[in-house]
Amino acid sequence: MRTLTKALGYILLTVAALTFIYPFLWMASASLKPENEIGTLALISRNFSLRGYSAVFKQIPIGRALFNSGLVSITSTTSVLVFSSMVGYALARLRFLGRDSIFNLVLLTMMIPGQLLLIPMYILVVRLGWTDSYRALIIPAMISNMGIIVFRQFFKSLPQDLVDAARIDGCSDYRILFQIFWPLSKPVLITVGIITFIGSWNEVLWPLIVIRKWNMMTMPQMVTLFHVGGLANAQVAAEMAAAMMLAFPVIVAYLFFQRYFIESLALSGIKG
Amino acid sequence: MLGRLAEQYRTSDKAGYVMVLPYILHFLLFTAYPLVFAFVLVFNRWDIVTPMEFIGIRNIQRLLRDATFWTAVINTLRFLASHIPLQIVLSLLIAVILNGPIKLRSFFRGAFFLPFVISGAVVTILWQQLYSTDAGILNLILNRIGMQPVPWLTDPAWAIYSIAIMATWKNMGFYIVLFLAGLQNVPHELYEAASIDGANRSQQFWKITLPLLQPVMLLVVILSTIGGFSLFIEPFVMTGGGPAESTLSVVLYLYKQAFQFLRMGYAATIGFALAIMIFVVTFIQRKLLDTDQPA
Amino acid sequence: MRMNPRSTMGVLLALALVCVLSVSAVGAKAPVTLTFWPSSNPQEIEFAKIIVKAWNDSHPDIQVKMEPLPASRSTEEVLLAAIAAGTTPDICANIYPGAISQYIAGKGLYPHDTLPGFYDFVYARTPKDVVDAFTYKDGHVYQIPWKGNPIMLAYNVKLLRANGIDTKSLATYSGFLAAAERMVKDLDGDGRPDQWLYAPTVDVTWWQRLFDFYTLYIGASGGKTLLSAAGKVDFENDAAVQVFTFLQTIFKKGLCPKGAMIGDAFLNGKIAATITGPWSVPYYDQNAPAGFEYDFVPIPVPDGMRGPVITFGDPKNIAIFATSKHPLEAWEFVKFIMSCENDLLWLEITSQPPYRRDLAKDPMFAGYFKENPLMAKFVEQGVYTRGVDDSKYLIEIFDAISKQYDLCCVQGKKTPKIAVRDAAQAVRDILAGW
Repeated sequence: MRTLTKALGYILLTVAALTFIYPFLWMASASLKPENEIGTLALISRNFSLRGYSAVFKQIPIGRALFNSGLVSITSTTSVLVFSSMVGYALARLRFLGRDSIFNLVLLTMMIPGQLLLIPMYILVVRLGWTDSYRALIIPAMISNMGIIVFRQFFKSLPQDLVDAARIDGCSDYRILFQIFWPLSKPVLITVGIITFIGSWNEVLWPLIVIRKWNMMTMPQMVTLFHVGGLANAQVAAEMAAAMMLAFPVIVAYLFFQRYFIESLALSGIKG
Repeated sequence: MLGRLAEQYRTSDKAGYVMVLPYILHFLLFTAYPLVFAFVLVFNRWDIVTPMEFIGIRNIQRLLRDATFWTAVINTLRFLASHIPLQIVLSLLIAVILNGPIKLRSFFRGAFFLPFVISGAVVTILWQQLYSTDAGILNLILNRIGMQPVPWLTDPAWAIYSIAIMATWKNMGFYIVLFLAGLQNVPHELYEAASIDGANRSQQFWKITLPLLQPVMLLVVILSTIGGFSLFIEPFVMTGGGPAESTLSVVLYLYKQAFQFLRMGYAATIGFALAIMIFVVTFIQRKLLDTDQPA
Repeated sequence: MRMNPRSTMGVLLALALVCVLSVSAVGAKAPVTLTFWPSSNPQEIEFAKIIVKAWNDSHPDIQVKMEPLPASRSTEEVLLAAIAAGTTPDICANIYPGAISQYIAGKGLYPHDTLPGFYDFVYARTPKDVVDAFTYKDGHVYQIPWKGNPIMLAYNVKLLRANGIDTKSLATYSGFLAAAERMVKDLDGDGRPDQWLYAPTVDVTWWQRLFDFYTLYIGASGGKTLLSAAGKVDFENDAAVQVFTFLQTIFKKGLCPKGAMIGDAFLNGKIAATITGPWSVPYYDQNAPAGFEYDFVPIPVPDGMRGPVITFGDPKNIAIFATSKHPLEAWEFVKFIMSCENDLLWLEITSQPPYRRDLAKDPMFAGYFKENPLMAKFVEQGVYTRGVDDSKYLIEIFDAISKQYDLCCVQGKKTPKIAVRDAAQAVRDILAGW
């Protein structure tokens, strides 16, 4: 009886896993097929063709979009790690007026849905003259409420003697944070880093609103507009090629850092 | 009183004030100011290019009798009503299986988690092809096994549920991992004790596992709810809100009002309505599902 | 040393020369740079590249920088966002008259009639009634008429012939519907049809209606637009009901495919006709399979209508933005774009007829029309076109009509009469400015 349930379990898992992987395989194969074969179930086509990819490169500056996304995501993530950990440290280990109020403020603002602030933030960006610029994409994302909470939580758990010893040695708080705490916070840094990076990389709505020039667009935004704006002219292979190029860096990173991805998100989920 | 404050200030760690400064500035610029401005916009009419016009509560009055808005709300509710139970049942089922003595656990976990990290735009574009009535793979497979093709995205009765299925697929990995973590926190001794008492596997599940999973369950429900209310990229890319407005989400409606019709005041009103709805719904969910007593 | 009179002259001359040169060097301006936004259509970009280069080569003091408009669900969004953000170009060659009120409300466009020699140039090129049509109610001309794409019905010559359909039958609704029924065939025996006559789109995006409902409405109503001259709803009439009925019948009777198709269905031979404009000509020529033959006829109209078929003219105009720091230089460039040689070049590359008077009879274009007899049809039709109304709410109006189109024609959930009534009511609501 036990083995039957176990076998059923495996079958279910395998079927489920297939339904999860097959669409991506289909997407990859569709990007490499000539147009008229896309409606078939066959995964590998005899008429292997790179026309989808060449069409994408010809019609939209996707390389530039890749660069934009990379620049924005890396800068945002670095900034989030630096500033969120800084604020988290102050909230966790320093005493000052308004500390607890600020902590409550962070918690409270996490509950505000982003869509509410979308329009005013757009107007703000317009007034500051930041439209079509990297600043519009990076600066609003420079600090993360979730990051602050996670860092504060973690820093609170570190032993006080570390801090005392460092203080005696004359270390400033900044040195304590970056030279002592950071090396001890690797899992947290990776967690917050990965979540922030993925969130930034996949963000579409905000870039759609503040970026209108082709060469400043992020990759998901450009792929979306390629699909929705009709430029693709119903060439499915080209659309799949664009989607593949967007997904590819994340898939590669995912395959290498799978463990960190999964554990980091689970960790944040439980804490949240 | 003032003296005490001054004393506290004197003995405080001055570095703290500097360190939280980035947050304060960011908060003022990107949260406080927009919040206030959004509130002001609700009572005005503005298309950015001409000056603002004060119109009192007309936006709110309009919203209350705007059939399209309420259609969007109902669409969202239909989405949540199908997505959340589906998500919980499937994720929990797979998590329970994965929690057992399964080989290749990492492989399976990895496979399920993959769609979650991929951009929503990619997933949507991909599934739009899969769902295509005449040429999509799903209907092709159904045809091969002798079933009628399903009008996934072209029938108003189906469309929103098709999107719910896709959303379940995309996020399942995340919820599987959450449930797995929750399952692994259940002490083995409880199960052993129950076995000794004669309880079978099913009873153990319903009486021990589920109650102890309450906090995770609540988290799953709240996160899916917030995600459901934020639905945008899927209808934007796949259906443009159709067919027959059945996939128009509240956020998509907000986007249309703001960036196609330039009705900034009305869009801000929709934004507040959305925030209120999310708050109310998650509040109710917490009241219903949050148990502070141990099982 | 005694000064030789000649050498004195020489020195004086040299001094004078130096003075003149230095003065002119000081007075000479740094090159003016103009930003120019053409549309994102590939042929239009090709044209833009050529003329921008030609201009830059011959005008070192006025350089033009070209930036194609990004595609979006609508380019009007992009332009309005630019006006709001103050990031407008000097010149844009993709101004859609329908959205003009919004731009003007945003004080975005330049009153071109105040430019030197404006009327002389424009009247020499374009018929007066076209210019009048694009004059705003305050008497200023905020957009310069450039080109119009009369919308017609493209059809697959061989496919229609193979199915025994005479193109004359496509001229009326009943003939069209009968032909559509004959065309629906299951060719590969899988129980589902693979061939149709015409596939109206199910996309509810507002501008799609321009190429189904609106075009047919202009034809069916004998040249009416949606609003009256006074800006009131003018489409609650039989013509609109007939158009909705026509479109609804196509869906209801299964005369068109359900849902999106893969690839271009017209070029693939899956559908035999499509409503489109002259911009398709280079696209078809480049992408059609070998042996593909196509031609154009006017759009169908309700039975019993007399007189020439009037259609939608999908006009696009050029405008200089009010924010431009160099409107006079921009005007020079605009005149260049619309010069006779460049109009011809434009026509050759994009196949979109410019608003040039007597285009068919103009000797400069005779050679072109001899080689492209298809285009003559568009020029002929071009005399019988209408544009869109001038309303700030145009996008919302079309969105409201889209909603009824979806409910009535695509989903079959409303009768055409009620759909038209509801559309008219929604538009009145919008115009009342709630």
